[in-house]
Amino acid sequence: MPAYALEIIVFSLGLVLLLVDAFAKLEDKRSLAWLGMLGLVVVFGLLFKVEPRAADDANVFWRFYSDSRMSLFFKGIAILSTILVLAMAIDYRGLIEKFTAPAEKKAHPQAGLGEFFALPVFACAGLMCMASATNLVSIFVSLEAVTITFYVMVAYMRRNVGSLEAGVKYLILGALSTGFLVYGFAWLYGITGSMDLAEIGAALKSGDVSPTAALFAFSLILVALGFKVGAVPFQMWIPDVYQGAPTPITAFLSVGSKAAGFIVLLRLSAVFLGSEAVAGQVAMAFAVVAGLTLIVGNLTAIPQSNFKRLLAYSSIAHAGFLLTALAAAPRKLEAGQLSSATVVAFYLGAYLLMTLLAFLVVGLVRVHRDSEEIEAYRGLGKSSPFLALALLIAMASLAGVPLTAGFFGKFFVFQLAIQGGHWWLVTLAAIGAGAGFYYYLKVVAAMYWDDPTGAAAKAAAIPVSALTRAAVVTLIVLIVIAGFAPRMILGLIG
Amino acid sequence: MDVNTIAWLILLLPLASAAVILLGTKKSAGISALISTGSVIATLVLSFLLLAQPDTAAAKPLQWLSLGDFEVTIGLKLDSLAQGMMIIVTGIGTLVHVFSLGYMHDDAGKARFFAGLSQFMFSMTGIVLADNFAMMFIFWELVGVSSYILIGHWYDKDSAADAAKKAFLVNRIGDFGFMIGILLVWVLTGSIYFDEIAKAIGGVQNANLLNAAVLLVFCGAVGKSAQLPLHVWLPDAMEGPTPVSALIHAATMVAAGVYMLARVSFLVGAAEMAADTIAIIGGATALLAALMATQQNDIKRVLAYSTLSQLGYMIMAQGLHDGSDAGMFHLYTHAWFKALLFLGSGAVIFACHHEQDIWKMGGLRQKMPITFWTFLIGTAALIAVPGTSGFWSKEAILEAAWHDHNYLVWGLGIAVAFLTPFYMTRLFVVAFLGKPRTKDADHAHEVSPIMWVPLAILAVMAVISAYITGPLEAKGHVAFHMSLTAILSLAGLVVGVLAGWKLYAGCDRDPVNIKLFANKFYLDELYLGIVRLFQDFVGMTFDAVDRYLIEPITVRLPALAAMSSGYVLRLLQVGNLQAYGFLFGLGAVVLIWLIVF
Repeated sequence: MPAYALEIIVFSLGLVLLLVDAFAKLEDKRSLAWLGMLGLVVVFGLLFKVEPRAADDANVFWRFYSDSRMSLFFKGIAILSTILVLAMAIDYRGLIEKFTAPAEKKAHPQAGLGEFFALPVFACAGLMCMASATNLVSIFVSLEAVTITFYVMVAYMRRNVGSLEAGVKYLILGALSTGFLVYGFAWLYGITGSMDLAEIGAALKSGDVSPTAALFAFSLILVALGFKVGAVPFQMWIPDVYQGAPTPITAFLSVGSKAAGFIVLLRLSAVFLGSEAVAGQVAMAFAVVAGLTLIVGNLTAIPQSNFKRLLAYSSIAHAGFLLTALAAAPRKLEAGQLSSATVVAFYLGAYLLMTLLAFLVVGLVRVHRDSEEIEAYRGLGKSSPFLALALLIAMASLAGVPLTAGFFGKFFVFQLAIQGGHWWLVTLAAIGAGAGFYYYLKVVAAMYWDDPTGAAAKAAAIPVSALTRAAVVTLIVLIVIAGFAPRMILGLIG
Repeated sequence: MDVNTIAWLILLLPLASAAVILLGTKKSAGISALISTGSVIATLVLSFLLLAQPDTAAAKPLQWLSLGDFEVTIGLKLDSLAQGMMIIVTGIGTLVHVFSLGYMHDDAGKARFFAGLSQFMFSMTGIVLADNFAMMFIFWELVGVSSYILIGHWYDKDSAADAAKKAFLVNRIGDFGFMIGILLVWVLTGSIYFDEIAKAIGGVQNANLLNAAVLLVFCGAVGKSAQLPLHVWLPDAMEGPTPVSALIHAATMVAAGVYMLARVSFLVGAAEMAADTIAIIGGATALLAALMATQQNDIKRVLAYSTLSQLGYMIMAQGLHDGSDAGMFHLYTHAWFKALLFLGSGAVIFACHHEQDIWKMGGLRQKMPITFWTFLIGTAALIAVPGTSGFWSKEAILEAAWHDHNYLVWGLGIAVAFLTPFYMTRLFVVAFLGKPRTKDADHAHEVSPIMWVPLAILAVMAVISAYITGPLEAKGHVAFHMSLTAILSLAGLVVGVLAGWKLYAGCDRDPVNIKLFANKFYLDELYLGIVRLFQDFVGMTFDAVDRYLIEPITVRLPALAAMSSGYVLRLLQVGNLQAYGFLFGLGAVVLIWLIVF
């Protein structure tokens, strides 16, 4: 089975979910989510059955599509996060119902719920396409497929002002960034005469292209993709949108959207870094953006008191580390050295695990404690020890405590930056990581040391469904495995 | 089973048992106790299988740490020294586990206790089988931790918690020296593996450095085997449950220092001055501890000081030419009879409702006949009655001192030979003979078979262990020559027992009262004073520097900078979409300008 069959299956799965929702009179729409998860689990299994492209396969499709190990790895990330987002969505459905239920009395309370389970599947199909896209057209189309799905999902709780506001902000700024992206692509096509990344790369390398024009195209693209990954100064939307969107979607946004942005950034930066004429400027631009992002993301996270907002800034901070890896991309790979693509892929994998774990707990606390403030987590260590432990591990990994996945993510980034001699980036990253320990462990301190106040003092344990429990345990195990044996994950990346 | 499987099983079974108990069966104390006891019995059987191995045996090492071209492995050395020590550790371990089944029967923390025992067995096995210093040091520390956990088993009792802390901290002092010593040896010989060090030791030129290295390594033994001046933790460690005292603080762990010195006897032998120091410290410990023992009233403390004293003998032997074997021989016989005495005292304490003061006992001979007879045998072995195992091993040490022409050390040893029978007779007469002096003693009755069977087995071993030395054959000599040493030590036995009998038979109160001995030469107070001095003066200075110089500059200032910049950056987040759009555009313009121009 060729790799692109997977996207076709996932896309069909999304359609099936919509059709089932429309024509089968489901009493409880949770079964849609179960169906979606089941389908995605099957696709995840099929990922290991993918056959490489046959040498004589002349299908025109391959002009747009690559099935490298790296793209398969990113497809895996997309599928895994979608499964977990669906699991989160099941726990979160109460709030969705509250803000989407039709006004008429007779209507089914879950009438507005079906699409909430189907949309992530479409986004997943888009993410998977993007992981393989090697052509400006396929990159753009899949990126927009993902982004437009996200516009809808962010604003999904349509009777909730916060969600609507987040949706509008995301839509307008997103459209702005898309404009930059298309403009950049147009310049790139204009100066090289090709849409294919390999041909563009060759054209840039040949030296026939004006470096100024190429750099202009690059800066437009960097602006647009900087917006997607949450790089400073294009990060403004992140805190507001993260806070307003339904928690499972926030999780998806922070993982999926970031992964998408970085896949494209990796592909395109490879094209530019391959050209002697522009490589220096490109690396410098990455370094500037990375440094700014590290500082702003980490320092602004310090005073936050809302946990979801804290995670938003954390997402910016992690983008800073990822950009550092790009900025420090070695020109010539020495034996045993990790390429910056590998480091970014590993970091994103680790980031996926720990962020989803954190958001799982955030979602549950939001539903049962009706709050996202850090204060609401006081005493969680006593009332819900299991969730508190999960959050502890997530926070430890986000902060980069050794023997967690997050530690090796940061470690590889630092290694790359030090090998490249980017000392001032290393300094900023160290300051950022130090600040990270403060604001992540603040949550841990609240859970275990602070006495609960107000309603939280009397709150009962938060019930955890078997599905959520399984998801939490899986994530914890994966975080610890990646923390003990990073080579296993590196092996998957190839 | 091949030798690899046996050796690794011996090491890992106790670890598995501890893990299973702590992670799984902690709630069901009975099952936990059985798991732990089962694992120790299995290791005993495996240790017997190990005896068939040749002296050069070793198990396949496991790579643990690799730094450049420097590698540390977890390797198991299975020579006769290790084989013999394993029999001691697992043999006494088994009996103590079985005894504990009875002793700790109703304890609330039974599962935790047995997990601790298993953890200790794992750590101790690691020390015994280690083939290099790094591995030995790791397990050395693990033993320290297990000892901490077990001494503090009744942690809700302040005295137990304090004793655990004290044991751990005092050991840290010794271990720190040990670590530096290991590094020095590594620098001098270029290896941390015992076999390679032994080969390289002849080439070491710098005698002073070698002496320093050996003395530093000896520091580890001073801590763990409770020698002067770090002996203070051992008597306090008696706050732990009595089976722990028997296993850890009498028979095995405290012997680790002696074992370690025997393991590196080639090192000690190469450093003349260090060896003499070791012998003198051992002898001095033996004498001072014996003096302290004469005035203690707690049955376990008397035994604790006698342990100190006997350990002094063993350490002393390690510092003598050709004394290492005699020291190991004494370690071996001592392990059995001291475990017997401790478990016997445990049985007494158990029967007297946790009363430990010997002056509140008395008349136990009629109440607890089996305990009485076994305790008598243990005492006989400790005071070296001819024919018992203790006699042969003590003679061997004293003879070694004589042949070494080390008359100072020899004199110390002989003096101890007079004191030991005295204080043991005192203990025995007061606790077991005469009339019951309290209600508790009056109501005492014999313990259950699960407790007295181990006593009986140990009693047999206390007598015959010298004749069945097994793998330690080369180290033990059951041979008697009439010599000045032999005459003097026999005289000591007779004089000591008679004096003890004369003074204490029929007494209800202690007729002798020597404050200096009862208060352990005020050493604890001295240490406390020194520590306090440090805390009050040196500590205050450092605190001031830290508080007013280091903290503002390196902690508060950066923290303030980070915090305040965080607050400032936060202001950018106005929440207004137009503002965001403007900043976005501005950022884009700046970025383009930066890149293109």
